[in-house]
Amino acid sequence: MRLSLRRFLLTVAVPCAAALSGCDNTITFSETLPPLQAASLDSGAGSWQMIVLSGPTQFTVAAPAAETSAVYLAELTAINTAQANLTDAQRRTIAYWSGGGVLRWNQILRGLVARFNLPPAPRPDGTYPVPDPENPFADPQFPFANPPYAARAYSYVSVAQFEALKTAWYWKYQYHRPSPARLDGSISALMPVGDLPAYPSEDAVLSGVTVEMLKVLFPAAVAEITQRAAEQRNAALWSGKAAASDIAAGLALGKAVAAVFIARAGADGMRNAVGTKAQWQALADSALARGEIPWISRELPPRPPMLPNFGQVQTWLMTPTEVVTERPPAPPSTSSPQMQQEVAEVRQTVDHLTREQLAIAYKWNDGAGTYTPPGHWNDIAAEYIRDAQMSEVRAARTFALLNMAMHDAAVGCWGVKFLYFNPRPEQLDPSIHTVIGLPNFPSYPSGHSTFSSSAAVVLSYLFPDGAPAFDGMKEEASISRLYGGIHYRSDIERGKEHGARIAGYAVRFAQQDGAN
Amino acid sequence: MPRTRHPTVLPFLSLALIAAPLRAQAIDDGAMLPRRAMAAGLLYSHESWSQYWEGTLKRDNGNIGTLSTQSVTWMAGYGVTDRLSVMAMLPYVWTHATQGPLHGMSGLQDFTLAAKYQLLATPLTDRGTLRAMVAGVAGIPAGNYTPDFLPLSIGLASRQFSGRFTLNFQAHQGWFLNGSAAYTWRTKVKLDRPAYYTNGQLILSDEVAMPAVFDYTLSAGYQVGRLSIPISLTQQRTLGGGDIRRQDMPFVSNRMDFVRLEGLVMYAVPAPQLGIRIGMSRIVSGRNVGQSTTLTGGLYHTFTF
Repeated sequence: MRLSLRRFLLTVAVPCAAALSGCDNTITFSETLPPLQAASLDSGAGSWQMIVLSGPTQFTVAAPAAETSAVYLAELTAINTAQANLTDAQRRTIAYWSGGGVLRWNQILRGLVARFNLPPAPRPDGTYPVPDPENPFADPQFPFANPPYAARAYSYVSVAQFEALKTAWYWKYQYHRPSPARLDGSISALMPVGDLPAYPSEDAVLSGVTVEMLKVLFPAAVAEITQRAAEQRNAALWSGKAAASDIAAGLALGKAVAAVFIARAGADGMRNAVGTKAQWQALADSALARGEIPWISRELPPRPPMLPNFGQVQTWLMTPTEVVTERPPAPPSTSSPQMQQEVAEVRQTVDHLTREQLAIAYKWNDGAGTYTPPGHWNDIAAEYIRDAQMSEVRAARTFALLNMAMHDAAVGCWGVKFLYFNPRPEQLDPSIHTVIGLPNFPSYPSGHSTFSSSAAVVLSYLFPDGAPAFDGMKEEASISRLYGGIHYRSDIERGKEHGARIAGYAVRFAQQDGAN
Repeated sequence: MPRTRHPTVLPFLSLALIAAPLRAQAIDDGAMLPRRAMAAGLLYSHESWSQYWEGTLKRDNGNIGTLSTQSVTWMAGYGVTDRLSVMAMLPYVWTHATQGPLHGMSGLQDFTLAAKYQLLATPLTDRGTLRAMVAGVAGIPAGNYTPDFLPLSIGLASRQFSGRFTLNFQAHQGWFLNGSAAYTWRTKVKLDRPAYYTNGQLILSDEVAMPAVFDYTLSAGYQVGRLSIPISLTQQRTLGGGDIRRQDMPFVSNRMDFVRLEGLVMYAVPAPQLGIRIGMSRIVSGRNVGQSTTLTGGLYHTFTF
């Protein structure tokens, strides 16, 4: 028996240990954020060009109480008391937000998009309910944060944060009130506290502007959003970075700026983007009248197309005329030999994928339940912003430029998609099977190619050293749609060109906004 | 477009082919291969479902129709001593959906190596024999398949290790009872994408932590001559992981739970030392799995060195 027990251990325990060794269950995160030590104060950001606001004095921040006033000294005492009684949970909150408010909110926003990026389930009668902003907690939840919705949401949050922070910077340098940890030697700096004036608090500005934007964009997540925003303000207070009056002023400013953007969002055309049954039919009729095969939903039961009128939503940096003039030419006719060739290429590609091609299709899938293609590019940008140790206001500018370009790309691309209403490869050849989900909207041009190209152009301008990497990622993201079996080559090529043209507007804005 | 798949730990439980001359011998039963006896064979399995549990909500999906998973598994076992057997298996799996645009997948799934040791074999009164067994099972993906296309992926691509304990009572009159339970550790899985959302959280990583799995099987059966007919009830509980969200795809680390009923007929042909096995199983309740019906057929050959 002894012998067999030893053999048992040899035959079982050794291979099992080998199978498990070096592959425990601890996962490595790609976007850890060390405490933000801004490379520059960007003290001139108060004069950078505005996008929606008239200027930094559109909102006035009243002068703070004197640093010697009893009111302010009481605030410093309160910080002292708080620091003497910090719990581990409070220290974790400080550590979390010390990574940078703009980056943290971008991560939170990507999480919200992924959480809400689910299409409504069909009803038993084969119809689909429409997510209702008046009833966001129901099934289906509101919103369905699909790529156009997400592109718009990322851009609203980023631009509102950017405008609010430029305003904050302006007033910071009007009043020059130092942070509590700088003023009072008995207060510790529990996160990096630089020479940036503390009044109004940039953390509170971010918390105020972001919480208000997110409550409108993701109303069902209100509890979580509100809690995060409060934690951000607490972290600023507990860490010795801002006093109560710095925070109160920042919170009020952030909320005031948000109101401007919420009003804009209410009137930007999004509410009409779903369209009506008659409009959907008119799109098909128009394609038929041109002698083309119209797109049809390949889902079972057939689902209404995704946001057919999103192409009419207001852009950030283009006029409605420019949206039209920048459009790519018509796709190859559905009855042309070129189209037949392109269909054959999709079929050939998807049936003979290498493992590497399949990995590229999955890497850039960014389908339902994910943070979408625009979210993927925010993910890419975040690490560059972190590594460049950008100040909060410059980080906000980077995300604003990136997300304005991708929102305008979404508007431009959706306009073309529903202008031509072109069928997907699988509709023209049902023997084509896809290795990623088949999007429920017309094929031409490729949205992912348009998004990726616009993002790569903007990021290459902002991070010239990264340009070759961005270009490689753009090419990979674009061709992934051919590997996935969901796009023809001409969708991809015209999409990339279109996205690059649209990104030009963001680059030209950035060249003269005063931030360089 | 949601879909689900059969649970991966399934091969550990159901592939009960490897057999001694008169008895099937599997990782979770009470039988042993005699010393120097070798059994090797092939098992074909056809599993299909048209309804699945999205979390706890049972539904069908027009973009899947019926999902079928077929496999051919090579299996072999060897009696190192009368009390110690080793087993190995390797399935080739292919998947197919009858509706919707999604591409089926195929390939070698996970190579499994197991060892089973008989701790105890003692007469119990004069009615029969009580046996106790322990087994260790290790599984490792045999190919570079993706687990990120469920339910059309062919497996979960995790390395696994199970510890199993089995108690068996064989009565002289022919009937038998078997109880077996296992705990399975699973290593993290690597995806081709840099982030994913599961269990209420966006995870900024290409790695997925896999929850452990507990399962148990109770079976009873009758053996007369060369024929053995067990029926069994299996419950699997995944000890963590998130639910499939409403109208979402299933995810590799989902909490995949089920209760399954299975019936088997095994027959040993004496002259060429062949064993034949056919079986049918059905998931009766579940969470984040398909309500699958599985048909299996296997043939194995036993010889002694």
